[in-house]
Amino acid sequence: MHSCNCGDRGHSHFSDFFSENIYTWCTNCGNYGIHAAVKRALVDLEIKPCQTLLAFDIGCHGNGSDKIGGYRFHGLHGRVIPFACGASTANSKVKIIAFGGDGGTLGEGINHLVLGIRGNYDITFVLHNNLNYGLTLGQPSATTKQGVAMNAAPDGVTSEPIHPMKFIFSLGPTFAARTFSGDVGHMAQTFKAAIEHPGFSFVEVLQSCPTYNLMTPHEWYQERIKDVSQIKGHDAGDISQANSIALDIEKEIAVGVLYQNKKSIPFNLRQANRVNKKTALVDEVKNLSVEKLFDSFR
Amino acid sequence: MKSSRQVIKISGESGQGVNSIGEVVAKGLKRCGFYSFGYREYPSLIKGGHAFHQIDFSDHPVSAPSRASNVLLCFSRVSFHAYLPTLTVGGQVIHMLDELEITEVEQKFIAEHKIKIYYLEAENIAREIGGRAIMANVVMVGALWKLLGLPIAPIENVVRQQFADKKDLVEANVACLNRGWKSDLGNLSPLTILFEKNNKREDDALLSGNHMLALGSVAAGVRAYFAYPMTPSSSILTYMADVYHETGILVKQLDDEISVAQFAIGANFAGTRALIATSGGGFDLMTETISLAGMTETPFVCILAQRPGPATGLPTWTAAGDLNLAIYAGHGELPRCVVAISDADSAYTLIQKAFNISEVYQIPTIVLTEKQIAESLFQVENLPADIPIERGLVTGASLDKLEAADRYKLTENGISPRWLPGESDATFVANSDEHLADGTLTEDPLLSEQMYAKRLRKLDTLHDALPEPVIIGPKDASVTMVSWGSVKNTICDVMDAWNELHPKDNFNLLLYEYIYPVKLKVLTGLIDKGQPLSLVENNATGQLGGLLSQHSGFQFEEKLLKYDGRPFFVDDIWEYLERRLTK
Repeated sequence: MHSCNCGDRGHSHFSDFFSENIYTWCTNCGNYGIHAAVKRALVDLEIKPCQTLLAFDIGCHGNGSDKIGGYRFHGLHGRVIPFACGASTANSKVKIIAFGGDGGTLGEGINHLVLGIRGNYDITFVLHNNLNYGLTLGQPSATTKQGVAMNAAPDGVTSEPIHPMKFIFSLGPTFAARTFSGDVGHMAQTFKAAIEHPGFSFVEVLQSCPTYNLMTPHEWYQERIKDVSQIKGHDAGDISQANSIALDIEKEIAVGVLYQNKKSIPFNLRQANRVNKKTALVDEVKNLSVEKLFDSFR
Repeated sequence: MKSSRQVIKISGESGQGVNSIGEVVAKGLKRCGFYSFGYREYPSLIKGGHAFHQIDFSDHPVSAPSRASNVLLCFSRVSFHAYLPTLTVGGQVIHMLDELEITEVEQKFIAEHKIKIYYLEAENIAREIGGRAIMANVVMVGALWKLLGLPIAPIENVVRQQFADKKDLVEANVACLNRGWKSDLGNLSPLTILFEKNNKREDDALLSGNHMLALGSVAAGVRAYFAYPMTPSSSILTYMADVYHETGILVKQLDDEISVAQFAIGANFAGTRALIATSGGGFDLMTETISLAGMTETPFVCILAQRPGPATGLPTWTAAGDLNLAIYAGHGELPRCVVAISDADSAYTLIQKAFNISEVYQIPTIVLTEKQIAESLFQVENLPADIPIERGLVTGASLDKLEAADRYKLTENGISPRWLPGESDATFVANSDEHLADGTLTEDPLLSEQMYAKRLRKLDTLHDALPEPVIIGPKDASVTMVSWGSVKNTICDVMDAWNELHPKDNFNLLLYEYIYPVKLKVLTGLIDKGQPLSLVENNATGQLGGLLSQHSGFQFEEKLLKYDGRPFFVDDIWEYLERRLTK
């Protein structure tokens, strides 16, 4: 045996996730807080870098893929969800967290979001929702508000924006949460709940973009967010209640775990031919005799 | 050559059980000691239209179809009119079509070709004996068996086996079969089968190229199969799902081919072996992921089951027109391997090799097949030998010594150490951006170029390790055909008979199965000695020829290209040889 105890959880430290590479994000970008919160959540859960697979889409957040520890995959625009879901079918012992922006998730790859939630693949998905395409210099995304002038839409966006949670709740999620990039503690708590949830955990981060999203800056969110614990009688097990408190994204924005199905059965445990397997797909790669199968054609 | 095989065409509407009957007949022939090959033509619809399952059988192995048949079994009027003109001179028809109207043109064809036609009241007989009209199919098989002059016992056993799980139907079907066998056949003449029966064929397997690809992948340790249905790859998905309790493989149909490709690269990155398959249109959607696999050096194996394009093309027909797609798919320059199976055996072997190549070299590997191989019924005596798995992974104590910068370390052969998430403390980023040895993004000109060159060096390393194309047939021949894919089967079916008849005008075949990176030593040897070469491909532009010309400078003057959605029939090759060699 080799000395890395990647198989067992154990004490890890914030610094284990440190990277010497220098961040390239704008000053006050919401991504800094998100990285800090991801690290804190993992350390709190005693998950070591070698026990993680962090998967990044293309966009500003993806440029952080080489600035944090852990096994990481920085793939193609819009495709982080099917990549991460595929990885989760093969190895459920490594914790998989996937990150995508509003462009890649609700534009280019929106079909994959549907697939991921319906299949309940065992991953955490973090939506960096900053209401624009930042890395390509501020074009509108599917969540940019109607009428806002952006690069490529100088007279304002003409479409109604997608309301992420309305969309998510229409798909029958097993976990849906919302948090804010300006509150590292709240994000860390939310990420922890998401990581521990068996199945597809959808977390929307309301992310400030100091460069291109001037309509809803950091302070705008800060004044409006309200944790579900402050909402009287909220039951995170009740999907219709969760759906209804999620609707307001203008005046009082509910954050925290909006909904969680405690009886969630993740994808891998739904497969009739694999449900009693003690091994994962990664443990099973060996030559298999197919003589019997071949004989059935004789 | 013509007398060395007999050809039966079983035809009807889609949905009339043409393929099931084809399989029953093929099994019966096998039990009577023959080799057979089953070729399918069918339209892209569920019910109606017309379809056939053609069986060429002989006393020696056959693996390609003839253009015309000796016997036509007709279950529907449309199929009678469609396939009457595909009979040979002296052909015979058994149909079950009450008050069949024959046009003047057809009458003329029948007279000129000395065709004999027999009407069997198969549906009435089936209702009378079996109680169900659908059993007419079995009555027809009985009559066919009578026409072939073969004993009833072997085919009766097949029918019993076929209905083993529907006990209440077994006896009725057997009765229908026997009743058909007792028909007087009117003026039809029992077939003269001039070739000998080889009595050892009973235990042979009858299965499609897609079955063999699936079996080969299971043998190769594939543990996940992801797909989106697309003809002619879909039967791999069906079969993988049918046997998933036996294999334990995760089988999942996804929502689109982009997801399929990404699931595969995700599962492979995590460390299992995932297989995917599609046809040209689906492969188009996967091409960005081919590029990603090249950049991140993640193993990736995709079966590209060809049918005629462009666009939707001829969805249920055959072609070999996607070689260029396989070689050039994906943006940027990346190392890859392209192999093309040619028959059932090579399907089993090459899919296993593909996984080893893909893992050891950390590159995408595309396995080409064609509808003609994917869905035809081959007779196979035994499985070829399994190929031991090679993964090229760092394992054991060496995992402790790893550093993140080993993952994409610059090496002479281009291959860097690869290990799996969760296996070592040395974590890295697999980056689709150009990167340094640990995956860190870089835009530095020198460092970018070094990493780019490292990846491409793998192509040279792989090139040196791949086998040369093989010459099939006599070592010295008047002409060498150069080809790939299913054409091999047609050429080989013709070869012995032709060469025996024309010893001075004989031919052999240079077969490319490992196509890219391209191997040239054997080819240039032939070119240098002035060997006459004929390029034979199931496409319009001669794509293999183009590739070989690009790399060798040699231009193929002689080409036989076919792109009408049909495979090469043995007649196509025979007639070409007559034109080329004996004029």
